[in-house]
Amino acid sequence: MPKSLTIDPTEARSRNVICAPQIPVNAYQRDPIAEAAHYSREQLLMVYHDMRLIREFETALDSIKKAGAYRGIAYQHSGPAHLSIGQEAAAVGQCLALDACDFILGSHRSHGEILAKGLAAIRQLDAAHLLRTMEGYMDAAALTVVESLDDYTNEHSLARDWLIYSAYAEIFARVTGFNKGMGGSMHTFFPPFGIMPNNAIVGGSADIALGMALYKRINRKPGIVIVNIGDSSVASGPVWEALNFAAMDQYHTLWDAELGGAPPILFNFVNNFYGMGGQPQGETLGHGMLARVALGVNADAMHAERIDGYDPLAVADATRRKKSLLLEGRGPALLDVITYRYSGHSPSDASSYRERDEIELWRAQDSLRSYADYLCQNGHADGAQLAAIDESIVRQIETVIRAAIDPDLSPGLDPAGDAIGAMMFSNQTAEALDDREPEVLLPLDKTRLGVTAAKHRFGFDSDGAPTPRLRTLTYAEAIFEAMLHRFYADPSMIAYGEENRDWGGAFGAYRGLTEAIPYHRLFNSPISEAAIVGTAVGYALAGGRAVPELMYCDFMGRAGDEIFNQMAKWQAMSANALRMPLVLRVSVGMKYGAQHSQDWSSLVAHIPGLKVYFPATPYDAKGMLNRALRGTDPVVFFESQRLYSQPETLFAGGVPVDYYEVPEGEPQIHRAGADISIITIGAALYRALEAAERLQNQHNLSAEVIDARFLNPLNLQPLLESARKTGRALLVSDATERGSFLHSLASNLSQLAFDFLDAPVAVLGARNWITPPAELDEAFFPSAAAIIDTIHQRILPLPGHRPATDQSTREMLRRSRDGI
Amino acid sequence: MAESIILPKLGNTVESAIILAWHVEIGDSITAGDLLCEIETDKATLEVESSATGTLLARLVDVGEEAPVLSDLAVVGEAGEPLDDWRSFQPAQKSPANTLPVPVDSPPPPVVESETRQKISPRARNLAQRKRLDTSDVSGSGPEGRIIERDIEAALKNRPSVSPVAQAMLDSGDYTLGEATPGRVKKADLLPVAESRAVAEIPLRGTRKTIATRMLHSLQSTAQLTMHANADATALKAFRARLKNSPESLGLRGVGINELLLFAAARTLPQFPNINALFENDTIYQHAAVHLAQAVDTERGLLAPVLRDADQLPLRKLAEDAQQLAEACRAGKILPDQLHGGTFTVSNLGSLGIESFTPLLNPPQVALLGLGAMQLKPIEGEGEVAFVPHISLSLTINHQVVDGAPAARFLRALCRNIADIDLLALG
Repeated sequence: MPKSLTIDPTEARSRNVICAPQIPVNAYQRDPIAEAAHYSREQLLMVYHDMRLIREFETALDSIKKAGAYRGIAYQHSGPAHLSIGQEAAAVGQCLALDACDFILGSHRSHGEILAKGLAAIRQLDAAHLLRTMEGYMDAAALTVVESLDDYTNEHSLARDWLIYSAYAEIFARVTGFNKGMGGSMHTFFPPFGIMPNNAIVGGSADIALGMALYKRINRKPGIVIVNIGDSSVASGPVWEALNFAAMDQYHTLWDAELGGAPPILFNFVNNFYGMGGQPQGETLGHGMLARVALGVNADAMHAERIDGYDPLAVADATRRKKSLLLEGRGPALLDVITYRYSGHSPSDASSYRERDEIELWRAQDSLRSYADYLCQNGHADGAQLAAIDESIVRQIETVIRAAIDPDLSPGLDPAGDAIGAMMFSNQTAEALDDREPEVLLPLDKTRLGVTAAKHRFGFDSDGAPTPRLRTLTYAEAIFEAMLHRFYADPSMIAYGEENRDWGGAFGAYRGLTEAIPYHRLFNSPISEAAIVGTAVGYALAGGRAVPELMYCDFMGRAGDEIFNQMAKWQAMSANALRMPLVLRVSVGMKYGAQHSQDWSSLVAHIPGLKVYFPATPYDAKGMLNRALRGTDPVVFFESQRLYSQPETLFAGGVPVDYYEVPEGEPQIHRAGADISIITIGAALYRALEAAERLQNQHNLSAEVIDARFLNPLNLQPLLESARKTGRALLVSDATERGSFLHSLASNLSQLAFDFLDAPVAVLGARNWITPPAELDEAFFPSAAAIIDTIHQRILPLPGHRPATDQSTREMLRRSRDGI
Repeated sequence: MAESIILPKLGNTVESAIILAWHVEIGDSITAGDLLCEIETDKATLEVESSATGTLLARLVDVGEEAPVLSDLAVVGEAGEPLDDWRSFQPAQKSPANTLPVPVDSPPPPVVESETRQKISPRARNLAQRKRLDTSDVSGSGPEGRIIERDIEAALKNRPSVSPVAQAMLDSGDYTLGEATPGRVKKADLLPVAESRAVAEIPLRGTRKTIATRMLHSLQSTAQLTMHANADATALKAFRARLKNSPESLGLRGVGINELLLFAAARTLPQFPNINALFENDTIYQHAAVHLAQAVDTERGLLAPVLRDADQLPLRKLAEDAQQLAEACRAGKILPDQLHGGTFTVSNLGSLGIESFTPLLNPPQVALLGLGAMQLKPIEGEGEVAFVPHISLSLTINHQVVDGAPAARFLRALCRNIADIDLLALG
């Protein structure tokens, strides 16, 4: 779409072939002499130590899970334990090439990776830094326990015990764990060592990792990002979207060259040949070798290689080479690291999908034993030295496990006082998430703000006559003003989605931003809704403010996991170690049929961990977006295509030019009344006001009209007071009725206002149909007539009223019986 | 196919009726035209016939319950036929023979016990409790007959006002209202709860409720003035005696004093259009025809059936019609439309020995005549005092639109006509 990139038909139509680079397979050549020159003996022994430690760490877990004890220490662990016994070389080799500032993300089988990365980071950080980190983390809860275990004279060995203890405590759901037990085995992580969230959704880390790589590139932060995901995940949509999003041409063609190119991300497929029990190679996929998929992504084939993951030095070599090109901006990169797990997928796995002989074949080439042989054969160590390492590791694991299962030293989280509730949101505000000067292309006073600020800010003049529409600020322009403000205040803020740049968003809300904001802060994404949201999750977790956009609410289905499982959960799963300053703008369509006109706000309101806003007027659009963009929590920000051209007609003062915020969670009373409360969400507000006018004129009934504005959090008190006052409440929105959030609201109001109610709280949503063609809008969405009919038939019969629609309880029964 | 029997609309102003008795049991067969139930409106007791033939499947309104006109009373169909939820919403303007399709394959909804209990919203119940209002006779105007706030408010409006002291005593729960007292309820009208248990509690409904409303309305909305006079009843007594002994073939034996007085009033009124008048919406409607209402004492309360064009009726016809109407009232068979449209009312308490009284107007009528007992009155004539029978007349007028002198002139003319009743009957 950029005008600077011309599509030349002559070139496009000319005869050609696509040439693809060759993909090396197990190209690394063992060269003990060169390796001895490259690595110190100490480093080579550390590789053994780390692999051995991981092996023992997981063996202990396996024993506890299957036998209820480890070396005589009895313990019942009721949570999951997905083990990677056999895969240690792939994890340790990788970290041999990494610095503390590099990030790794993993899967549900990532104990080995987090230990390897933690051990590597501890070696790289100085004693003071380590102490500071441990003291400052979760009020030094883990440090206090570990320091009681021994008289440590060496901060690094203290930190190693601390790492192992924190991991076990996390797995065993102790409040002293990395994340107070809220992450658990499948999500163990520790950001200060570059160990970022591990994901229990297969492939879930791919787009999140890319978001972190974008954060590093856009904000000029050091290091690379590696996502360790399983071989089966390559077939999942979000992973494929992340591969393509990572390989966009615009990093090179349109972004400032000075930024340094593509986001530094390595897609590291930990290929143990099984996706649970399915076998991608030969059964469930057709690539033959996983690295082949890189051929489809870009001309560099992502610099892909297949690597022997049983050789830690081969993995280290490949990772080092990829890191180097990633830092040069030549990413993304892909490694297909083959390895093998001896343990089952989980303790319940009887390995029915593979022959015992196969496991024995791999055991015979076990990476740990081969590496021990390599050390001995090349004079780096002897058997006794390795046995001493083994012995000290076993003692260390024993000591740490005893502490981790001790209920006095390591209690579980006490949920009393709603300790988990307190983790659901960070509830902080921040003017800026970085202290750099925001990068912009124009001074603020040269932007389109000059045009919008000069417009009428209220839809009626002092005589009550409507102002000229084109010269009156619209809902879309209110969105623009809020976005512009934060772009100029927070250097970390980025916004992207489909058609966001040049076009200004499909509905023009970003008109004027293209001229003001550089490409790397406002860009067009591929049509990859999962990756649009997933990358934003990663960007926010890494510390930046992200504003992704979904062009239609209906496309939320394409980003389901990213919204429901990722955006919503990481703050609490990290026990608030991480924040999620992410505002997902979602546009509710209209007049566009069954797949482009649905209000799905109820779906996200159902998911714990999301804030849900839905402004209905320009004043609220700007004030609520301002609020969202200063917060640190994930907000799904619904807008309605019915409203983009709407001027402010309800807030008498109009839309202020200056910055202001709407207080979070507070409903707005737009019309005071005494006889019935009509509470709306979204664009239904205007139909409720129309109905209120008719009720007054035709039935002498005084209706109070309230816009909830927020679905979550929502202060029920004003709604409750209204319902108590009038004794009658009708809730209206454009969401389809069954399962609508309005029913939660109705239930709560009924319980809280029960003794004051003159009729059950009634709900009026859209019909439980597909959205019909625009010509039939009136039959589908709640109309003013249907609002009055519902009041007449379910709340307060209106003398002389002849209902045009059937809102009776009998009709409710019929619809439910028929499932419509 | 089951169909419903609806409560017919029994007059233009009838909004609802109370079921007095069912005459058909559920499961019994019924033929169109059979008596289904008896109902009472605010004006009369009536019979409802079945409009369908089949088996009575359901009675949707219990005895004592009030139902809006045109709502479903009962369902008639084939035995064992499933019933839909007949109690809920019905489209407006359904015809009496309206039938609704009943899905064949859907099981009948479970019978919920609460269907028959009085539905009342929490808000309405709380208001009633706060105001110590018994809701058992309040009819609901909410969806599905639910009593809602406005029904309680309406019921409260009809309740006599209560002094603050009495209200506080009532609120304490230790006192309750004693016998019905007119006007404002004061401390003296209250009885301790223990004592009050001996008092029969009769909730207002139907006719009594209407009377209560109208009487209060009468006092509150008009300026009433009553004037008294006596008419010489010598001729009246003699004429009545002659009629009583007249040949049976003449059909005049049954014409009593009351009917003669009605006749006198009917023949006097045409000369006094300002008395034979209605006052509504700041307008006086003077009527050429006399539609004479007579107060009739019945078990359900006071009723006032109307003799249309009474001034045109010969004595015998007037007397027969008046007696038939009164009988219909006492039997509860009076039709709603026969209780409407009077231009003047006569109320006779003479037979109960009342000498004179101050009758209440029946708005929008502007005058009402009360008839007292016959008494001997000493009259001076030709040098000696004679005791002459007189009948006392009490005329209440709405002083807003009727002045004293014209009312007095009417009374004087009426007295003359009564005194010359035999001549009047000839005219």
